[in-house]
Amino acid sequence: MSDLIIEGLVKNFGGVHAVDHISLTVKDGTLTSFLGPSGCGKTTTLNSIAGLEPIDEGLIRAGDLVLNDTRRKIALQPEQRELGMVFQSYALWPHMKVYGNLALGLKLKKVPNNEAKKRIKETLELVGLEGMEDRYPFQLSGGQQQRVALARAVVAQPRLLLLDEPLSNLDAKVREQARAWLREIQNRLGITTVYVTHDQAEALAISDMVAVMSKGKLVQYATPHEVYENPATRYVADFIGISSFINGTVVERASNFTRIKIDSGEILTSSRPAPSSTDRVTVTIRSERIRLLPITTEAVANSIPAKIVSGLYLGSKYQYVVKTSTGTIRIETLNAAPGEEVLLGFAPEDLILLAAENAGEEVAVKEEKEAPALT
Amino acid sequence: MSTLEKQVVPREVTLKSIPWDRIVQWGIVVLTGLLVLFPAWPILYQAFMDKPLYEQDKVATFGNFGDILGSGEFWTSLRTTIIYAIFSTILGVTLGTFLAIILSRTDIPCRKLFTSLVLIPFFVSPLVLAVSWNLIFGPQGYFTIVVRNLGLPTWDLSSLPGMIVVTGMYTAPFTYLYCISSLSLSDSSLEDAARIAGANPFTTLWKITLPLLRPAISFSALFTVVSVIESTSIPLILGLPAGVEVLSTYLYKLGVVGINKDYGSVAVVSILLIILVSGLVMLQRKLVSQERRFVTVGGKAGRPKLIRLGRFRWLTFALVSLYVGIGIILPLIGVIAQSWSPFLSPMVNPLTTLTTQNYNTVLSVPAYQSSIINSLLISTFGAAIGILFMGMIAVIAYRSDFRGRKALSYLAMFPRAFPGMIIGVGFLWAFLLIPGIGGMRNTILALTFAFIVRYLPLGFSNISPAILRISNELDRAGRVAGMNWIGVVRHILLPILGPALLSGYMLLFISFLKEYNVALFLFSRGSEVMGTTMLQLTQQGTAGPVAALATIQLLITVVVVFIASRFLGVKFHE
Ligand SMILES: Nc1ncnc2c1ncn2[C@@H]1O[C@H](COP(=O)(O)OP(=O)(O)O)[C@@H](O)[C@H]1O
Ligand SMILES: [Mg+2]
Repeated sequence: MSDLIIEGLVKNFGGVHAVDHISLTVKDGTLTSFLGPSGCGKTTTLNSIAGLEPIDEGLIRAGDLVLNDTRRKIALQPEQRELGMVFQSYALWPHMKVYGNLALGLKLKKVPNNEAKKRIKETLELVGLEGMEDRYPFQLSGGQQQRVALARAVVAQPRLLLLDEPLSNLDAKVREQARAWLREIQNRLGITTVYVTHDQAEALAISDMVAVMSKGKLVQYATPHEVYENPATRYVADFIGISSFINGTVVERASNFTRIKIDSGEILTSSRPAPSSTDRVTVTIRSERIRLLPITTEAVANSIPAKIVSGLYLGSKYQYVVKTSTGTIRIETLNAAPGEEVLLGFAPEDLILLAAENAGEEVAVKEEKEAPALT
Repeated sequence: MSTLEKQVVPREVTLKSIPWDRIVQWGIVVLTGLLVLFPAWPILYQAFMDKPLYEQDKVATFGNFGDILGSGEFWTSLRTTIIYAIFSTILGVTLGTFLAIILSRTDIPCRKLFTSLVLIPFFVSPLVLAVSWNLIFGPQGYFTIVVRNLGLPTWDLSSLPGMIVVTGMYTAPFTYLYCISSLSLSDSSLEDAARIAGANPFTTLWKITLPLLRPAISFSALFTVVSVIESTSIPLILGLPAGVEVLSTYLYKLGVVGINKDYGSVAVVSILLIILVSGLVMLQRKLVSQERRFVTVGGKAGRPKLIRLGRFRWLTFALVSLYVGIGIILPLIGVIAQSWSPFLSPMVNPLTTLTTQNYNTVLSVPAYQSSIINSLLISTFGAAIGILFMGMIAVIAYRSDFRGRKALSYLAMFPRAFPGMIIGVGFLWAFLLIPGIGGMRNTILALTFAFIVRYLPLGFSNISPAILRISNELDRAGRVAGMNWIGVVRHILLPILGPALLSGYMLLFISFLKEYNVALFLFSRGSEVMGTTMLQLTQQGTAGPVAALATIQLLITVVVVFIASRFLGVKFHE
């Protein structure tokens, strides 16, 4: 049993709440991703688990080993935690060969020499680097270095594997292969894993559970499917996938559908329940779930008229920005638009209903989403 | 929560092992504090005491300050110091700047050769150079006599203007080095842009290259002023015989030469010098932090196009050769020639009077002999201990969670404010005052500690960039892999720092070999070093053995620099 349990984790840097009361459990042998824009506190969370940053408050437990408990003043040193970690820069020790990089941790854990040799050989085979023992890190390609970093992290059979954006230094093509490969290794080892990334596609592809973070807070903790299909907040919907938002008011709540009058006057029907707390809702629509219909004289249910502002042809799909009387909406579709003026058609099951947030927060969410693109 | 989880009984490991990390860190910090403050407090204490600090019936007084501030000799030497420092700096900085621009941006013939030759003063003790210049251009110098015999007017090197010229030439390489590294960092496309905009090569140099060097130039100027104020060699050898007294020689006279050594006055002059130097050093630090803001270099520094000097090419060559020849090569040849001859004179062909007499003297008289051995011991072992110590300080200052690490880095830079001679004074007095360790005073151990303190800022700032270049994820990977902080230092940081420590070691070796300022007060019979012996011999007026010692020191330096740069890949400057 090596569940990772985090309760009420708090870490401040001066006045900055880098991690703000995070609690979650990573089940034994599963992979959880911490996902969020740069600066939201993912690395700090990971470093807190590793013991690389002293925490201000909270409890961290890995299986039966208490790593941190501020109430009982327990704080293990990183070297006492029996963890494996892969760093963004890989952090391979440049003065040691691949073998030395793997052997040092084993030696410190007093693993006998021949046993260490055997384990290093097996681990290098596992990551597909057999026979590379005598290379220095600088003699390896980026992808190979990343494999060595993983091998070094798991060779001592740690109770947790921590990865901080391990693929961000690879180019796009290699990255996609690497993430499938990484998932496979993790499965095979069955090791409880925490994975940090700002890339939503990567998080969805690789994880059993995704922890979406914003400004040090945990916003949603759920399976990739749940996070995509049922985003907990507008922030999550906006950060994961491309979504558009229309504000409206609930006019009818039924057992199997909800009717909303959007602010431009049209009535939309969703097969999802509306939040019980309020009648003001934000109708959230994924860009690839919108159909473009030609304008007709007869009324079409669940649709609103729109005018195309710009279009991009991307080979596998088209991307449009359209203007409606409630605002602009982004659309991805396989087929070209039937004309300048179109109808946007929605299936009832695709209309996600979220409690409307106040305007101030909406602006903040926007800014945060744009930040990583700039850096 | 599943029922399964609730059954888990959390295991609590609180490994209460001995906190070796902290013990080592505290050990180094306390040692640094002791070493750095050791020479400081006796000076402060003595400044307010009416009698030498080892006497029993002394009382506190401000009288020492009154004595000094009322002394005409003090004010005269202060005025001389200011004139000497300002003009030497102007000369040295101007020379250095032009050398840097000419040797890095023009097609002067023999560029490569010149770039190595101009650095020679960097490796040679100023004492050796002062002795050499005196041998060639001094009042009885070889070249002076040649010119005089031709019936031409001669000069007087043993005078304030003479000192300024020699000091300017000696300090030019500092500016040269700073400007060269600034030039190699700056983006040469700025110069290309000026050319494309229609500026000719010389306008480009004047309007673009030179202004870009301004931060480097002002930094070097302050550095030069400080080292001129601290220097004793040229003032002692060229100034003192002519009665030209600067603060450092005034201090020397007060504390070393006289029979009635005036402890109080030595302390007060020391404090005034420290205040002067620390003011300048602070100004320098401020400049550095501002300079960083000016660094706008973005792109890769391309290889700049060399400016064609055209018909000025050979004229420039002649001028640079003149500096290198007169300022560096000729004096060094002179000192080597003198070491093989009983008396160097244009009347006598030195080849007919070749003798090993000077070397025999130096190698057989026990006091001279031991000064060579002492210098080698301090350089070899002292520098090794020193660089490890400084490496540990830098590792704690930059790579630990030690609370006082910031303070430690200030502590390590603190001796910057102390002229070398004053560090010697401080150590001497501390040994006199502290019972039980007085026995160490006459040993080379005392000198070794004092040398390490003197070069702490140099070694620390030499190692620091190398540490900062190592990604701290390497340390973190080490911690996660199961090492404590000491393990990280031992297995990761120090091995990666190996080359930087080696070149730091070489730098310290050469610095220790050259050093004599610190030893001026501190050495005694049995703990003399080459520099102090050379000075003593010079004052006795025996040129031959001095030259032999100087030649031996040059030889050691050449061998060490050669081995280090050829076989160990050490770079002495970036
Ligand atoms: N050592 C530090 N000192 C001060 N602030 C820090 C430090 N490390 C991180 N922070 C701040 O904490 C916040 C979270 O940082 P981080 O965990 O690195 O974010 P992420 O990994 O999600 O990009 C940021 O606002 C960052 O500026
Ligand atoms: Mg991060």
